[in-house]
Amino acid sequence: MNRNGQRKTEEVANLRVVLRGVEFKNPILVASGTFGYGAEAKQWCDIEQLGGVVTKSVSRKPRMGNSPRRIVETASGMLNSIGLANVGVDTFVKEKLPYLAQFDTKIIANIAASSMEEYRDVLELIEANAVENLAGYEINISCPNVKDGGLSFGTNVERTEELTALLRASTDRILMIKLTPNVTSVAPFAQACERAGADAISLINTLVGMSIDIYTREPRLNTVTGGLSGPAIKPIAIAQVYQARKACLIPICGIGGIVTAEDAVEFFIAGASMVQVGTANFVYPDAGVRVAEGLTQFLREQKIANVSELVNSLRIRAELKAAGW
Amino acid sequence: MPELSLSIPSLVTKRRVLAPGLVTLRFRNPHVARSTVAGQFVNVLPKSGFLDPMLRRPFSVYWASDTRSSDEGDEAEIIVQSHGRGTGILCDTREGESLDVLGPLGKPWNYQSGNFETAILLIGGVGVASMPLLTRALELEEIPILTFYGARTAALIARERLTNLHIATDDGSEGFHGSNVGLLRTLLEEGSISAPKIFTCGPTGMMRAAQALAKEFSLPCEVSLETEMACGIGICQGCPVRNEDAVFEKTGKKFKLVCTDGPSFPAEEIVL
Repeated sequence: MNRNGQRKTEEVANLRVVLRGVEFKNPILVASGTFGYGAEAKQWCDIEQLGGVVTKSVSRKPRMGNSPRRIVETASGMLNSIGLANVGVDTFVKEKLPYLAQFDTKIIANIAASSMEEYRDVLELIEANAVENLAGYEINISCPNVKDGGLSFGTNVERTEELTALLRASTDRILMIKLTPNVTSVAPFAQACERAGADAISLINTLVGMSIDIYTREPRLNTVTGGLSGPAIKPIAIAQVYQARKACLIPICGIGGIVTAEDAVEFFIAGASMVQVGTANFVYPDAGVRVAEGLTQFLREQKIANVSELVNSLRIRAELKAAGW
Repeated sequence: MPELSLSIPSLVTKRRVLAPGLVTLRFRNPHVARSTVAGQFVNVLPKSGFLDPMLRRPFSVYWASDTRSSDEGDEAEIIVQSHGRGTGILCDTREGESLDVLGPLGKPWNYQSGNFETAILLIGGVGVASMPLLTRALELEEIPILTFYGARTAALIARERLTNLHIATDDGSEGFHGSNVGLLRTLLEEGSISAPKIFTCGPTGMMRAAQALAKEFSLPCEVSLETEMACGIGICQGCPVRNEDAVFEKTGKKFKLVCTDGPSFPAEEIVL
């Protein structure tokens, strides 16, 4: 044992993570909407080095997306208002899912909808056309950029619980609920997902943000406000993961501004078992692979045998904990 | 593992100042130099690092070493106009420093369609960026070229590697005093140009005028667009351009993506 109480090892660190009996080769996924359906990034990224791919949100019908302007760069981040542009579930199961089946990595299908029934229908259509490496579903109840994008679920504890329970009954695969940070406290939402049988929660989705052209005095985005992502939001995401960790026992998939392996490690320590790399994919299409490689190196350097040793390993003084921090 | 075209650190070998806030950066990148076709672009990360500015900036490839001559050594060039923090940092890149370059990206100009006999290059300002490579490609195809280059003032004209250059300036400091579209109109009205096709890139107002002119004279016209972009490879969906109603009705698609469907489009297909 070394001074940190960890086993000394020269072996390759174990990055494997198991969720609902499904083994992911590492805990680094790419976030929905930042990696398309795999084909777009294939030229730039060795997809099989990723723990998994969370696909672009898919809805019952194809969605064209919002009118431009859809993106604005901000300090260490960006605002987007894409508007859930996607091919629709029919094309998804006919073309996108079979394409992703060729890769030795896990697929998590992200679903967006505006009603309980639509969420269930989309999930059941995917379930009926499942491919072998389809690990499960991430349910987007947190898109801030369309009026019917599920946020009415994501900001209402009862509806979150009801929806989770409904979808739980439709699948034996992983059911992960993607939560919004645009609420007073994430804790009751995490607990609602846990009560209703979710296998995991993922957080955070983007924060509502706004940017104004001071010369024209017009909002820069066509939808006035948009979703803020990138390194700018990482401290908020870390805090929310920590709060969710204290509130529930189901695994957390941490999201928000991850660029480097060190960023990912911070999420693990705060309580996440897995993470998703998002906006960084727009700069380096292989950002997820870079994070996974960096994580291997970090674990080797720190002589940590298993990535799970990092999870929820925050050292916080007892008196702070007792005081409710 | 498949061979991947990763973003490549590219050594800047030559920086030239064309005018205040307007520079060319030549960099070593064999992949870009050898595989770029006229009209494609690269997505370049400002050297300040990842966090701020965070995103890459798209630039048409201004020049790529000619594979027929060995002396230009696997280099490519972009032309950068400073109009914000990111482009400002790029403009200040020094020789010997590296740029992180992703590309070539996007589709080339459609100059091989055969539906024209004379190429009209209609350029506004820094919209010149893709025109030297287009000129080279057209010359290889032995297609006659007429170039109409509009700029605010003569000092801002990047005139190298262009041919049959007709200049128009807003301030009258060189050539025709007024719009290059107006200048082109005069020639089209004379009817002396044989089966022309317009290739245009510049400010939106100029391209709209070009679009209208092409419609009026029933000419094929291709416009090359620049929009804000994040990824440049079709993932973020951040760079849509609206389809004309007829295209929407035919395809059911309201938008195209500038990065992967373009950056150049048939003028009649899109709403500028």
